[in-house]
Amino acid sequence: MIELKHVTRRFGNAVAVDNIDLTIETGEVCVLVGSSGCGKSTTLRMINRLLPRTDGEILVDGEDIGTMNPEQLRLNMGYVIQGTGLFPHWTVARNIAMVPQLLKWPRERIDARVHELMTLLDLDPSTHANKYPQQLSGGQAQRVGVARALAADPNILLMDEPFGALDAITRENLQLEMLRIQKQVRKTTVFVTHDIDEALKLATRIAVMDQGRIIQHDTPENILRRPATEFVENLVGKQDRGLKLMGLRTVRELMQAHPAPKRPEPGTEGLREEDSLRLALSVMLWQDTPQVPVFNSRGEETGVITRERIVREGA
Amino acid sequence: MSVNRVIAALGLLALALVWLLDLGAIQPNRIVPGTGHGLVSAVGWGGAALVTSALAGAILLAVLRVRGRYLLLLALIGLSLALLPLLLEVFASRHLPEDSPYARSSVGAGFWCLLFLLSLMLIEVVGQLGRRRGLQLLLVVVIGSSWVVFLQSDGLESLSLVREFNARPAKFEQALWTHLTLAFGAVTISAVLAFGLALKMMRSPAWQRPILGLVSFLQTIPSLAVFGLLIAPLSALVAAFPALESLGIRGIGWAPALLALIAYSLLPMVRNTFVALTEVPEELADAGRGMGMNERQLFFKLKLPLALPVIIEGVRITTIQAIGLTAVAALIGAGGFGSFIFQGLGQAAMDLVLLGALPTIVLALLADALLTMLAASFRPAAARV
Repeated sequence: MIELKHVTRRFGNAVAVDNIDLTIETGEVCVLVGSSGCGKSTTLRMINRLLPRTDGEILVDGEDIGTMNPEQLRLNMGYVIQGTGLFPHWTVARNIAMVPQLLKWPRERIDARVHELMTLLDLDPSTHANKYPQQLSGGQAQRVGVARALAADPNILLMDEPFGALDAITRENLQLEMLRIQKQVRKTTVFVTHDIDEALKLATRIAVMDQGRIIQHDTPENILRRPATEFVENLVGKQDRGLKLMGLRTVRELMQAHPAPKRPEPGTEGLREEDSLRLALSVMLWQDTPQVPVFNSRGEETGVITRERIVREGA
Repeated sequence: MSVNRVIAALGLLALALVWLLDLGAIQPNRIVPGTGHGLVSAVGWGGAALVTSALAGAILLAVLRVRGRYLLLLALIGLSLALLPLLLEVFASRHLPEDSPYARSSVGAGFWCLLFLLSLMLIEVVGQLGRRRGLQLLLVVVIGSSWVVFLQSDGLESLSLVREFNARPAKFEQALWTHLTLAFGAVTISAVLAFGLALKMMRSPAWQRPILGLVSFLQTIPSLAVFGLLIAPLSALVAAFPALESLGIRGIGWAPALLALIAYSLLPMVRNTFVALTEVPEELADAGRGMGMNERQLFFKLKLPLALPVIIEGVRITTIQAIGLTAVAALIGAGGFGSFIFQGLGQAAMDLVLLGALPTIVLALLADALLTMLAASFRPAAARV
């Protein structure tokens, strides 16, 4: 758990972060969202003491970080930045092994861990381990960046616009990847972005920041349904909030389940249970059908979802 | 594969020059200018035909699209270079009067041109074959050892350069060591100083302007002036502390030369070291720091390895410069190859000048090649792929 109490940061006379209070529960993904210069990166960098705070208190698991050795503190916090920050003179494997090496793990344990992480992030160890960062695509490099942050199994993950420099398709892939990994590893994550869609997709709770203050701190659904101010309302988009809400809910919630899963007839297309309602509606509009079958992860047909129900109850 | 214009043009030029210019000259003694001999006169029709056919062969191979022609060219040009001293040997045996012990043969413009142009052709061929370090090293060893064997044999004993060397082998060896000690001593000391200064500038930015200003200022003083200017203060110092004299420190000699060389080496060294260390992207340092590295680990694991190629580049420039400047330092009695140059100038003996100048050039080229290789081996592996 990370607690920020009355935290302030000034640069000269300018106030970057203005007396904020924020609690991030263990295992949740807290996304700090806001336009550039709103203080979200500054807040993140105060948590691992890359920036000193001017005033206030930051506690990690109840302990004031000001009393800890900064290097020790950071060794237990994975850190991912926009430009990846991979060392160009080190191979992929050595980059991932950075923190375990700083912690002086034995050689075999490091090798095993690197192998495990590369597999987790869908990087083939045999082809990528000995490459250099310049030989990777942007998406691969950021996967390595995430693997490096997870290497020593830290309790906390700090991510500063990690997918900001990637193209839309790669970004989407990495977001899905992150959701998948987060389900497995359950890290307490602070994630900074200016992209509200990314925030809605990844967050357990979102903290909307503006001019150094936290305007609203709530779940994605509540941010969409009950924006605290006009600023938040504009940020989430006044008009397409309905679709965004549908984007948060899964097909599983509104489908009519069959009594028992059945084998589909060959060639039928459909949706998966974990697809969003937004996708389901889009598919039905495109195919001009009133309903679509739903499959589970084993490929069995578990129910159907109707256009009518999505329109009635989706948002 | 296309026509290699570079080799063809160099070959044509070599062919023209070797026929037009004197290959060598015979001097009755050390001072009197000799009589020049063209290609045919020097080595006879047979020798001329051999040289011509070797060059024509190279031109032909450059123009024709034969498979594996660069390997053939490599063999042809490498062999020509290795056997080049044979021309001088034939020349000496044909023209040197047997009854005059002071007569000597000397190398003419045609020979120098041939040597220079063949070397350029070899560099081009090696470049076309791709960077294979083993091959380059083998070439240098084969050609170099062939020249050493020729120069040590009796056939070239009449060559003026060899005569000058044979008159003073001990002095030559001493000059070589003095030259190397002065140049590399200065480079080593200034490298250590520069590293310290660069670190100081990184820690306290207020020192950047004064330090860079000082080393730039040192660089602007003419070298001869520095050598001269140091004589008085050093003499005064020795007068005040006679103990220093027992260490060999005097107003003239190696002490002022070393000081001046260090002063000159500081600018390229400090500038390259400082720029290399500070130009490591802040984003990388931020990542390293954020992952839990302390400043010491950041320096040794990130900044220094990334800066090393540029730092070595600074060492390379400084070394070449120091080897050249050491020749000038002979003026204040520091010794080294410069002493032959200035002696030769004083006695109007051009061969003695060459005996000083040629090894200086060879030393500079060797240092350049070695340090370039060293810098390349420190570059991040991915940049080399």
